[in-house]
Amino acid sequence: MKKFMGLTKRNLLIYFKDKPAIVFSLLTSLIVLVLYLLFLKGTFEASLDSALAEAGELSSLIRSEDISLFVNIILLTGMMGSAMITVPYSCLTTIVKDRENRIDYDISATPVKRWQIILSYYTAAAISACVMTGALLTLGIIILSVNGGLLLGAAELLKAYGIVILGSVSATGIFMTIMIFFKTAQSASAFFGMLSAAAGFVIGAFIPISQFSEGVQTFCNLFPATHVTVAVRNTLMSGVMESFEASIGGMDHGMLSKMLNESFSFHAKMFGNELQIGESVFYVLIISAVSCLIMIYAYSKTYRRK
Amino acid sequence: MNAIEVRELIKDYKEHRAVDGISFSVGEGELFAFLGENGAGKSTTINILCTILQKTGGEVSLMGHRLGEEDDAIRSLIGIVFQNSVLDDKLTVKENIYTRGAYYGLSKKQVDERLKGFRESFELDEIWNRRYENLSGGQRRRVDITRALINDPRILFLDEPTTGLDPKSRRIVWDHIDYLRREKNMTIFLTTHYMEETKDADRVVILDKGKVIASGTPAELKNAHASSRLVWYTKQDGENEELLKGMEHSYDSDHYNVRFKDNITELLYRYRERITDYEVIKGSMDDVFLNLTGREMAEL
Repeated sequence: MKKFMGLTKRNLLIYFKDKPAIVFSLLTSLIVLVLYLLFLKGTFEASLDSALAEAGELSSLIRSEDISLFVNIILLTGMMGSAMITVPYSCLTTIVKDRENRIDYDISATPVKRWQIILSYYTAAAISACVMTGALLTLGIIILSVNGGLLLGAAELLKAYGIVILGSVSATGIFMTIMIFFKTAQSASAFFGMLSAAAGFVIGAFIPISQFSEGVQTFCNLFPATHVTVAVRNTLMSGVMESFEASIGGMDHGMLSKMLNESFSFHAKMFGNELQIGESVFYVLIISAVSCLIMIYAYSKTYRRK
Repeated sequence: MNAIEVRELIKDYKEHRAVDGISFSVGEGELFAFLGENGAGKSTTINILCTILQKTGGEVSLMGHRLGEEDDAIRSLIGIVFQNSVLDDKLTVKENIYTRGAYYGLSKKQVDERLKGFRESFELDEIWNRRYENLSGGQRRRVDITRALINDPRILFLDEPTTGLDPKSRRIVWDHIDYLRREKNMTIFLTTHYMEETKDADRVVILDKGKVIASGTPAELKNAHASSRLVWYTKQDGENEELLKGMEHSYDSDHYNVRFKDNITELLYRYRERITDYEVIKGSMDDVFLNLTGREMAEL
């Protein structure tokens, strides 16, 4: 156990002691934030206004603080969803760097078991992703609470943290398998560039996925991170949605919720079918299990002595 | 018991045979030097002995443990200083050393105890909290060697440990290697590009294209494969040419270079009246390597 802990600690230190790498791993989240401050907030508010307009005069009953909270939660979940993709990937590039610099030789020549080496990379990346995404969530909760409250109970908050952990672990499993294909750190970095650019779109941080065509929506929802973002968005939105309902007093017969659901992708859609949150979580669990099996198979081949 | 026994070791990479049936043994506490140009199979052999690569054929044992069957026992008994550094740039020396200690199941306290002697002699205290990336080449090498000694190994593999180091750092590294042999009876398995570093080796094996082309003590190899040189400072004329007739010689600006393998004393005594200004230069390991491979080590 001490050997595994030592390896995991080393992998964690490599990520957390490299400040530029941390910033780089959060680049997509930072871009989401900057774009939000520049124009995304206005875009989301306009989308929300048009959804509210369909509810007719009832929209005047909605509190402006709730509208602001709604849009801020979209931002927060977008940043978290992006981080859930880019942080574990960034952390896992250690595997490629270790192979390229022959550091894996040094580790292989110690009494550490091969499976411990592989598991330590996985564990360190999953912990890093949980810590960074969890930190974003915590920071978001604090800021939103200071600015008028999040309208959430402890159970919802715990659920949100649980979903963040699930998302981080599942993304790490998938990227572990992808890392097998990179021979050099340069190629892994090039892929990271593409991933960073695509991540914000895939999880709907820049534009709600519901605004894409059905085919594109299905493609985006193939990625567990999108389901996780949707799930955490639902959880964090539950308070503000209840506040919307309370303001209207049920006079819209649920129309507003339905419209917001459609406009802001509160549920993942695959092949035209809307998935409930439980189904999304189940999908993430299945993909995580499959990626773990692939990871075990692939790494047992890669880390066998040649 | 020998520290290392290698019999008919073979390593194939698809169609290419990197190590071609080599055999040698290394006694406990010996300094064993493994020489050869790049691609001769040195690093491949070291990587097999260190359980990193799998052998294609042959038998290998380290401290009585058979390779391929008792690999974990072997890993606990060896330390390796790789050609290129394998420590983490962003971590401090302390973090690098402690995390590597954990690979052997050692706590920080145990690592500290094991490094008691080294920290002072390797001047590690002043760089203990500095990032590895901020160290000089010599400091890095000292940390690399310290890392290789964490598990108190019985056999230390040094794959070109002093390449690129300044003379002072090379001296420190060699003083420490001498200490490990003398005080701890540690077996040292060395590959190097610096021929003079093999002069104190108990045994030298020269590898070329995956095969052992020569082995023995430095003296045996020099006697067998290198000629000594008489440098005679005199003018070039017919009388002197007559004296050197039948001997391999050349004239270079102000002196003759006369190569010889046997005893030169008789010649010097016989012509003591004429050969008065001279020096005798013994054959070196460089000459051994040059004669065996046709290439100078510096060219490699």
